[in-house]
Parts: sequence; C-alpha cells; structure tokens
Amino acid sequence: MSGYVLLRHRDIPDLHKLDVYLANGGFAAFKKAVTAMKPEEVLKEVMDSGLRGRGGAGFPTGVKWSFLPNKIWPHYVVANADESEPGTFKDRELLESNPFQFLEGLMLSCYAVQANVGYVYLRGEFWRIAGQIDGCIADLEAAGLLGEKLYGSDYSLRLYTHLGAGAYICGEETALLESIEGNLGQPRLRPPFPATAGLYGKPTVINNVETLANVPPIIERGAAWYRTFGTEKSPGVKIFSLSGNINKPGNYELPLGTTFRELIYTHGGGIPGGRGVKAIMAAGASSTLILANDQSLDTPMDYESTQQLGAPLGSASVIVIDDSVNIAWLVRKTVNFFKHESCGKCTPCREGTFWMDNIARRLISGQGSLKDIDLLYNVASQMQGKCLCALGEFSTMAVASGIEKFRKDFEALVKT
Amino acid sequence: MAVKMVNLTIDNHPVSVPAGTLVVDAAKKVGIEIPVFCYHPKMDPVGMCRLCLVEIGRPMVDRATNQPVLEADGSPKISFGPKLETACTTPVSEGMVVLTENDKVSEARKDILEFILTSHPLDCPVCDKGGECPLQNLTMRFGPGESRFLFDEKMRLAKQVPLGELILLDRERCIQCARCVRFQKEIVDDPVIGFSQRGRALEIVTFSDPGFDSIFSGNTTDICPVGALTTSDFRFGARPWEMNAAASLCTHCPVGCNLTINVRREARAGGRDVIKRIMPRQNESVNEIWICDKGRFAYHFTESEQRLTEPMMRKGSELVAVSWDEALQAAASRLKKAGEKTITLAGGRLSNEDLFNLCQLTSGLGGQYWMHGTMGGGDLLAQVGVGQGTNLGEFGPGSAILVVASDLHEEAPVWWLRVKQAAERGATLIVASARPTRLDRFAKCVIRYAYGEEVETVTSLVPEYKTDVSEAICAGIQGILGAENLVVFFGSDGLGLEGTTALAAACMELLVKTNHFGRANNGLIAVWPNANTQGAFELGYRPAADLASRLAEAQVAYIAAADPAGDDPALAEALRKTGFIIVQELFMTPTARMADLVLPAQAFTEREGTFVSGERRVQRYYPAVRPISGPRPDFQIAAQIAAQLGFSLEERLASLVFQRLSEAMPDFAGLTYQQLAMVEEQWPLIGRHDLYFGGTGYDNHQGLGVQLKPAAQRLEPLNLPDVPELPPLQAPEGAFLVVPITCLYDRGQTLLPTSLLHERMEKPAIYVHPKLATRVGLEDKQSFQLVLNGISTLVQVIFDENAPEGAALLPRSVGVPIQGPALAQKEIVSG
Amino acid sequence: MFRGILEGMRQTLRSFFEKPVTIQYPEQKRPVRARFKGRHVLKRYENGLEKCIGCALCAAACPADAIFVEAAENTDERRFSPGERYASTYEINMLRCIYCGFCEDACPTEAIVLGDNYELSFMDRAASIYTKDMLLEPVPAVDKLTPQSTPPGVFTRSVPEMKDPED
Repeated sequence: MSGYVLLRHRDIPDLHKLDVYLANGGFAAFKKAVTAMKPEEVLKEVMDSGLRGRGGAGFPTGVKWSFLPNKIWPHYVVANADESEPGTFKDRELLESNPFQFLEGLMLSCYAVQANVGYVYLRGEFWRIAGQIDGCIADLEAAGLLGEKLYGSDYSLRLYTHLGAGAYICGEETALLESIEGNLGQPRLRPPFPATAGLYGKPTVINNVETLANVPPIIERGAAWYRTFGTEKSPGVKIFSLSGNINKPGNYELPLGTTFRELIYTHGGGIPGGRGVKAIMAAGASSTLILANDQSLDTPMDYESTQQLGAPLGSASVIVIDDSVNIAWLVRKTVNFFKHESCGKCTPCREGTFWMDNIARRLISGQGSLKDIDLLYNVASQMQGKCLCALGEFSTMAVASGIEKFRKDFEALVKT
Repeated sequence: MAVKMVNLTIDNHPVSVPAGTLVVDAAKKVGIEIPVFCYHPKMDPVGMCRLCLVEIGRPMVDRATNQPVLEADGSPKISFGPKLETACTTPVSEGMVVLTENDKVSEARKDILEFILTSHPLDCPVCDKGGECPLQNLTMRFGPGESRFLFDEKMRLAKQVPLGELILLDRERCIQCARCVRFQKEIVDDPVIGFSQRGRALEIVTFSDPGFDSIFSGNTTDICPVGALTTSDFRFGARPWEMNAAASLCTHCPVGCNLTINVRREARAGGRDVIKRIMPRQNESVNEIWICDKGRFAYHFTESEQRLTEPMMRKGSELVAVSWDEALQAAASRLKKAGEKTITLAGGRLSNEDLFNLCQLTSGLGGQYWMHGTMGGGDLLAQVGVGQGTNLGEFGPGSAILVVASDLHEEAPVWWLRVKQAAERGATLIVASARPTRLDRFAKCVIRYAYGEEVETVTSLVPEYKTDVSEAICAGIQGILGAENLVVFFGSDGLGLEGTTALAAACMELLVKTNHFGRANNGLIAVWPNANTQGAFELGYRPAADLASRLAEAQVAYIAAADPAGDDPALAEALRKTGFIIVQELFMTPTARMADLVLPAQAFTEREGTFVSGERRVQRYYPAVRPISGPRPDFQIAAQIAAQLGFSLEERLASLVFQRLSEAMPDFAGLTYQQLAMVEEQWPLIGRHDLYFGGTGYDNHQGLGVQLKPAAQRLEPLNLPDVPELPPLQAPEGAFLVVPITCLYDRGQTLLPTSLLHERMEKPAIYVHPKLATRVGLEDKQSFQLVLNGISTLVQVIFDENAPEGAALLPRSVGVPIQGPALAQKEIVSG
Repeated sequence: MFRGILEGMRQTLRSFFEKPVTIQYPEQKRPVRARFKGRHVLKRYENGLEKCIGCALCAAACPADAIFVEAAENTDERRFSPGERYASTYEINMLRCIYCGFCEDACPTEAIVLGDNYELSFMDRAASIYTKDMLLEPVPAVDKLTPQSTPPGVFTRSVPEMKDPED
C-alpha cells in the first residue's frame, strides 16, 4: 500500500463509492470499535496518538473529547466542514473524493463520546458536496452501518448534514452551533465552552474534517503506528494546501515537520520564472506573514516550530508570495476579506475591519500618506486582544506583520 | 438558603458580593463605574461591545500542591492574564483582583469608543437622546478628543426607518449593542425585531406585521444607549434638559406602574405646560424599570381639547356654563333636599382622597354610595389580599402563581411580564382560562375550562376536595401543594359582577384551605379594570347588582368619574328616572350629556393623590403640569359642596384629606404622605449621573409606596364567605353566548384621544370560533347587527381559532355595551 | 492768576478748531467694530433654507436664559432647514440678553450671529421678545422663502455637513 493516509483516493480509484471503500478495508476500524472496544478505549487510542486538531488551533483531539461531562446527556458531535479560509482546500478534496474515511472518523468520534447524533456542517458553497454526503449517509444507512443497534450492539447513530449560508464566521465553532440551531451566525460568549454547553446547550465535540479523517487509521493501526509520522509534539500527517506564486499548487499530504523549502521546491516545483520567495502565509488569510529567508524556509512545518517564527501553522494553507508582489496589495486583500466576513457582533472587529479596509484602500489607490501607514498599524494593534472571537484577531495578523516586516512596500505606494 | 459570599478587590476596594455576581455589578455596588453599552443588569450578558474591558487577576495556585502561591510578604500571588477581560461577562471569584483605572484599561476604553464613533453620525445637536445619552457621556469621560476616521468615509445610512408606527430607527446612530433585540426576545418574549446582514452592514429589522408588534416596544427606547430608537411621540419633542420631571402613576390598569412625566412649557401651546413624554420610574416591587406602551403613550387624554373646563347647568333643555359658586350652590341645595335619597356613584379612576370625601359627603346626607363597575370581590382582598412585603420579583423555585380568568398580557401587561419572569426563574405557574393566553407557554400546568365553569375549576383545585378530577387539575393541585408561597390572580375574563364575586370567594377559599394567606408573597390579587378599584373597595365602595333600580329611585345621583349611561343602556334608562343628576367628569360623556349639573374635574396630571394597586400598595402621584383654569380636583369639589351643606371636609390639600382618611380607615392607620414618599436603594442602580448602566432612566426619589397589611396578616379573624354556585350558561336555539373580554387597546374615553394608538385599537367586533360561526350562520369579516340585551349594534365578525367553541368573545369598551356573559342573536334584517 | 485763565482759553480755542469726536446721531452713524456684538440674526443658506436646526443649544448656553426654542420635524414638502428638524419657535428676550455671544459659540451650524444692530428700544416688555420672523435674515429672493418644497433624497442628513468653522 502506498504512502497516503488521508488522500488514499489518489491511490485507489472510485474510493468515494461505498463498495470500493469497504473493499479497501473501510469501516474495519468502526466495526472494531463498536464490537470490540469500549468508548474509553477509542478515546485513549486517539489521545495516545497525539492527534491535534487540523482546523487551525492544533488542540489535542483526544483531550477535547475527554472534556465532555458524563453527567449531561445527550452528547453531540459536529464535523466542521465550513472550510472557508482563503487558500485552504484540503477538506474539499477529502469530502469529494474520500468521504467515507471522513464519515467513518466522524462515526468513531461519535462512538467515543457516545453521541447518537452527528452533524456535518458544510459551508453554503458546498451545496453539491452536501448532496454527495447525503448520498453517502443514505448508502451507509442502507448498508446498516448507520441506524439502530449497530453490529448488534446497543449503540445507535444517525448523521445529518447542515448547509450554511455562506458565512466565513460560521467556521468558528460557536457561530457554527448558532447556525445549526437556526440563529444568526455569530459567535457565542465563552465560557461555557461547547464541551459543556454546545449544540442545544448540550456537550458537543466539534472537529475539523481532516482531523476526523485521521481517526480511522489510528484506530485501525494503533497510536504507535501513527506516531511514526511527524514530530514528537506534532505527530502524524497533514494535508498542506499549497497555493500562491507556485508552479504546482495543490494538496500535499506530508508528515508534520516537513520544511517549507521541501514543500515549496521539492513538491511544489518552485516559483514560476525562478523568482525568489518574498513571504509565506502559513494559515491562509489569517496568517501572520513570514518573511522568507533561509532560516524560515528551513523551519519545519509543525505547530511548535512555525510558532517560533511568530506565525501559527493554522490550517497549513501555505500561500507563497514571490518578490513581484507588493505586500500592501496583499494586506488590502486580506483586510477586505475580513471586512466582508466580520459578523458584526463585537465592536473592534466590526468597526476595525471596516476602518482598516478604508485605510488600506486609500493606500493602494495612492491617496494615502505616511501617517496612514501608522494609522493602519495602529488600528490593527488597537483591535488586538479585544475581540470576542478569533476572527477579529486574525484580521489584524497580516496587517500588523505586513507593516512590521514590509513597511517599504507600503511607503512605495505613498506619493511624496 | 444562605448565599455564598465572594471576596475580591476592585481598585483596592475590598468587596464582598454573592457568588455569581458579575464583576461589573460588583464594581457598581461599591461605586466604581465600569462603562458598558451592551450589558444591561436585567438581561443576560453578551460581551459584544467590549467597552467594559478591565484587567483581572486571580490568585495563582500551585498545580502540584493545590495551594495558593504566596508572595514574599505572605499575600497571595496574583496572576494577570495577557488579555483584558470583559467585566460584564466575568463572574466574581474568590481573591480576584480587578483593576479598572490603569493605563491599559483606559487605553482600551478609548480604543473601543473610537471604534464605535467611527460609524456614529455625531448628530448630537438634533438627537433626542442628546443630553441623556450614554454614548455621549462615556465619550466625554473616556473617549478620544479627536477623530482619526475620515469624515467622508463614514457610512451613510437611513436616518428615519419606522419600525412600527410607534418606534423609529436611525440606522446611523445604532451601535449594534442588541439591547433592544435581547429585550424583545428575553424579557418580553416578543422577538419581532432582530439583526439582519453582518459586519458593518448589521442592521435592526422588524419582521412582524404590523411592524414592531409588541406592547412593550417603548421600553427599547429607554434602554437604547444611543438615539437610534425613538418614539414617534417624543421625536424632536424637546431637549432632555429643558423638561421638568414629576413622579406619577399609571392610571390605566391596577398594576400601578410608577411613572416619570416630563413636562415643558410651550409657546405653541400658548404657554401651557405640555407633557412631552412618559418614562418608567424604577420600583422593583411594582414595575421594575418597564412599562407597557399603553402607559407610555396613552396620556394625551389629559391634554385633550375636549376636556370640560366650566361647570354647566341644565337651563331649559340646554346645558349652559355657570360659575362655580352657582354650580356648587345648586348641587348643595339639591343634595340637601334629597338627603338620604342621594346616591353617589364613583369610578375606579378616582384617587383615595376623592373617594373618601365623596363617601363622607354622602354618608353625611344619609345617602348611599356605590362603585361603578362589573367586577366584584375586592372586599375579600382586605382579608386575604397579598401580604405586606409581597414582591413578584422574588418569586422563584418553591413559589406558585395561579392565574384564573385573566389574560394578563392584555389586562395588566406588567403583571404578565413579572409572572412570566417568575415562571422562568422556576416558580410554578398554573394558568386556568377558557381560552389560550400568552401566559400558557410559561405555565407548568394549563387548565382549560368552558366559560361558566370558573368557580367550579378553582374549587376543584382545593386539595381536600379532591375527587374525580382531570389530569390538568391534578397537576395544578400538585403545584399548589408543593409550593411554599402562592399568589392567586383572578380576573374578569368572560365574567360579570356575579361571576367575579363568586370567583373571588372561590379563590379565597382555595388560599385559606391551603394556608396561603396572611403573609408576604401569599394571597389574592384582583386584575381590576381601573387603577384604583382596589382603593374604592378599601373605602367601602361596592358594585351594586341592582344599580339600575337604585338609580331610578334616587332623587339625586352624584356620579364621579363614571359613565353608567355610556356603559350600560339599562343604567341610561334608569338615569332618565333619576330626579337630578350631578356628573363630575373630564369629558362630556353620555352620562354627562344627561346630567342636570356637570362639574369639570382635574386630570391626574394636574393634582396629587394616592391610588391603591391590585397588590394593595398605596402609592402617591404628584402634580406634573399646572392645572388648566376651570376644573377642580374631585376631592375639593366634594368638600366645597359639603361646606355649603355645613359639613367640614378637608378641601385644601390632598395630603390633609389623606390624613383624615388614615385616621378613619383602620387599614390605612398611621400612613402619611411622607411615608409614601420614602425610598430605599434599589438594585440595579439606575438613573444616577452616569445614565448608562440600565439605559436612560431617572432615580426614584419620590417614593416606593407602602403595601397595606391584609386583615389576615394583622391576625384578625377571617370571615369566609360562601362560594355561590353560578347558573350554567346555556344558549337556547337561535341564540348564542357572548362573553366580555378585556383588550389592552380598547376604545375607552381615556384612550381615544391618543391618536398614535388608533391603528392598534380594537374595532367593534366579536371573535368567533369558525365552528360556532357556522352554527350561528356568520362569516369571517362579515358585519352584522348583533342583538345583545335587546340592543342592536353593528359589529364585525373576526374568526379566531383560539376562541372557545361555546361562546363568542366581545371586547369591553369598544362601543358595544356588555356587562357579563349574555345571550345574543343575529338580527334578522327584514326585506 | 491770568496765566490759568489764558491756559484754559487756549485749550478751548484749540478744541474749537479740532475735528469733533461727536457725531449727529441718529442722522449720522458710525460703523461698529468687526467683533461688535449687537442684535442677533438667524442666518440662511444661499438657497434660502434656514441654518438653524432647532437644537436649542443656544438656549442651553445662554447665561441669561433669554432664548427659547421649540423644534419640529422637516418634511420634503415643507422644508425649513436642510437637517431633520428646524426651529418652529425661536424667541430671544432682548431685555434679558447680555450680548455675551455664547449662543453664537454654541451653535453647531453657525445659524445665530450677533450682528451690528444696537438700536433696540421697546415701549413695553412684550415687545422685547423677538420672534423668529424678526430674527431671520431676509431671503435673497422671493422664491427662496421657507418653507420650501424640496425634491426627495437631497436632504438626508440630520445635521447639515459643516466644514471647519470660518473666522
């Protein structure tokens, strides 16, 4: 069997069909779990594997599951398929081409926390995929893999899809829960955290699609096997979505700890026209800009090492920016995105993104002054640490790091 | 149950507050003001505006030993988080250290205010909130001096969006704090407004038809921290600092909501004092900080052009204006002649002072005095009314509330609100009614009966009578048995005088048999039609079943604040036989038109007095405007007539009348105006100089009132009346049953002059269940001649699935006289 | 002794040939100083609309409580000022006024200006109350009288836009 753990469809054609998936060892892990393992054992296996959330925060998945109180029932599991980060397209490939592995992962996590209902929350633009997932769920129900008393045990499970209405903020877990409940997609106040009061006020686990897709191989082959990939603190494989000024953009499944250089030059085929890399955004539009130099290019991409560069790895959507790009232009793009996507619940984000967009637009159009650069930086830092959810914080990352590291690009736009 | 107290330090002030208190409230309690916009002490925190960011430190705990880490000097080491925290969402914890004044916090406040102001139009010079605006105040105190945001980049949004005909929205001024949205959803369960869009495009929209369809909508303008929501009544009316404020009471229902009346002298009104707006006055035992829209807007009758201004006497067939002297003399000489053949009829709108002087005058003559109304049972409240110290705001687990025959949402909106909130806090709510009401969804148990079975239903709730009862009643009994406290509300939904009197007796029996009387938070509350019906009962006035014959036999009928001729054709007929009719009124009512002598009375805004609320709280109202020339206070008119007859009644001041009243009435013994004007600190603190904590409102300096002790609480023996049985209501062939119901916006004399509410007022119509309609032969929206008690009126049919199948519902005071359940027919139009 | 008399006569004689400081008021009037604060004028825009938006800040600022304002709402059919509201009543009691100019400072739209007119006299106290008609600047042309009927969507601001104050 070839190297893919998650993108197995690249080896096996038609893996999105249930019979093909079953023929290739599909649902063995789920069967093993339901028939031969206690929920706690599943949880322990995942905890031992050191699997960390692939949605961006990198929180240990097993630990997250263990937070659910056993006094309050029912429990829910929600798969976050609201993949909306610019430059991130890993979940989409999994959902389209390897949906059963993700669904099996979701079912395993449901089993681990003894949830009888799981939801797949998809972004509004994934309506076609949602139809496909509905088909998959119907196939599973027809095959007796979902429903009452699975494999003769007492465990019952139903899955449902829920389509969003096209809001980036609904990728934030509490806003996502609001959206499922039928409310306006705005983040909730925390605490209480979803682990204690989530969907409909009940304990809820929310996991990224890719995270869940990692679970079946872990259960099937064990935590020790999984730890053979990646680094000590960031074990396992990760799908890196590579885009920007790159010869071969796309999804690359690599062990965590692969360096930027390897991803860009070995796998991504380098920069078009042999240009130099100017900056890297490691987490889509929410990234702190990484100034590309030998030191940063040789940094391994795992949660700890990237953080050393002052930039979280996030969802590992690596956007490569070559030296033909003016960073101010890039910053304006991100700021405009966040202005459009801010939910408007908290003041700094609602007003700050709007203001930053105004200033950035002014700078790009050549109407700005040197003072505006300071003002932009000032507004960004004024927002930091004050927002209700992470979106507001993220919106300032590219601005602040862009001005800190590439101030000259901004100054070049100011008419003197 | 002892509440656990938590000790913390806020800006070096040691504070001890109950566990669960939020930091912002704890700070407020020791006089430290943390600025807020989205937070409101009556609502759940959301932490949206981020203005209340403070630095919070907690004692460090050694993970290994679970012991607090100590500093060198032995004090616990405090660890501060990297980020500021929102004081409005963080509950206090032991040993917490809160810093609200340091540079980091001040900087954060400035930053947030700058953000809020980027989108704000700064049209303070014309904004109605200007001068009492939290945003204005907080900007002056904490905000930046200069704007860095370019004026030309400001959002330009709609300035005048009518959410409904009562409330207008200015989208530019809105700071998206969601106080209004949350108020409508959490507090009054009318989620008719909400947010649409997102980000900077976030805007308030209404999705009801008609717009902003809520009877509490006006409150959103008080809690709005900017001038985004304004009432169409007050819009551009006056600047806040130009107005004088007077404490008053709402006169529209028995709740007795405390009001502040804002008044200004106006050139366009010829230099007269004009009421500009009415706002709630905080009284946590009565209306907290809310009032309904009827209370807020329906004050225009006091300024109506139709007010009577001169005494009028019948000379020939015409009523002609005469001097007060002549009028008083005429009244006195007639009354003297009539002597014991005098009958005084008073309405529940009069103050205690008026009622006292009127009954003193009448008894002096040896005549009889009665109350005009179709609801009885008030005398029982003197025995088992709610005990002194009752506060619905304290009701929670372990308390029960029974509501019988009353649609509180329509009849006494603020009671509805407080009962609903009590149920949400965990009190057991039992609703017994003949038709679905807005209270049902908060009730633990809903008992549905047919009109006519009210008394039976309440009697069956007495546990010791437990016989073969339905499941709902069983649940009701369980609820009552399991409760430490029980309050019973009874109303007149579908009932007349006979029915309500019997129902009151049944309710009293229930309370006495379950031992829920004679102490605080227990007893009976009547949902009266008027503000001071309870006061009239206290002073000995009773409604008379045989009023028509009494009026017909009287030589002089002295009618004050009542319109028997307009309300009941039978009484109009009787009045034609009365010797001489004196009417003391605000308006030329149908009764006044029949009168021989009409005496103009002052409106409540022009004078002072006291009312007794349904909860038997005696409360004071103060003069708000300078009286228009002509009318006199009712108590004064009565005293001046008495003076002509040689009795000494107090005519100078209401307070002096009250002094005599408290000497004469044991229930009022010892009460003085000074006592009624006493206040104590209430929580939340609203309306001090900051004006932001709970929205725009002003401190209550003018009195919280005093709740009377019922006889049972004074340990006097009870006098339990027999519970009469009511004859069953059966409609013979060709007829159908019509019962009276009460609607909030009726077409009564005190409501009609408020043109703002006309769109929401009830039309002359009956609500009929489609099945009943089919049986009777009525169609939806059809107008037909309804024959009721021999009188035919044109009414419209409105199909209502919620109406019972056995009876059609006819709102009171919409132009079709109805006193109680009655048989009706559809008039056959010949030809 | 003569010396003193002569000195006085000389002074008188010199004054006799000097230009007189007095003028023949009221036939003759001397122009006032640039910052003179005389009777108030309520200004208009060039299109004839009143600058006053009825905010009553002048009344609030007035230390003598001489100003009284009542506001009403503009409509496009009956427009007095460019903003949302206008002064339906505007009165200044000239007997009370101390000509301090605080009202001018308080005005957010530069509507009230203390003018050059100092010739105020009244035969009775009621006449000292100047109403809006008396205070308003004359219209530049007959068609620019207020109220005007204006096209919808033009005047949508609550307070007309103010550039940095002149002077």
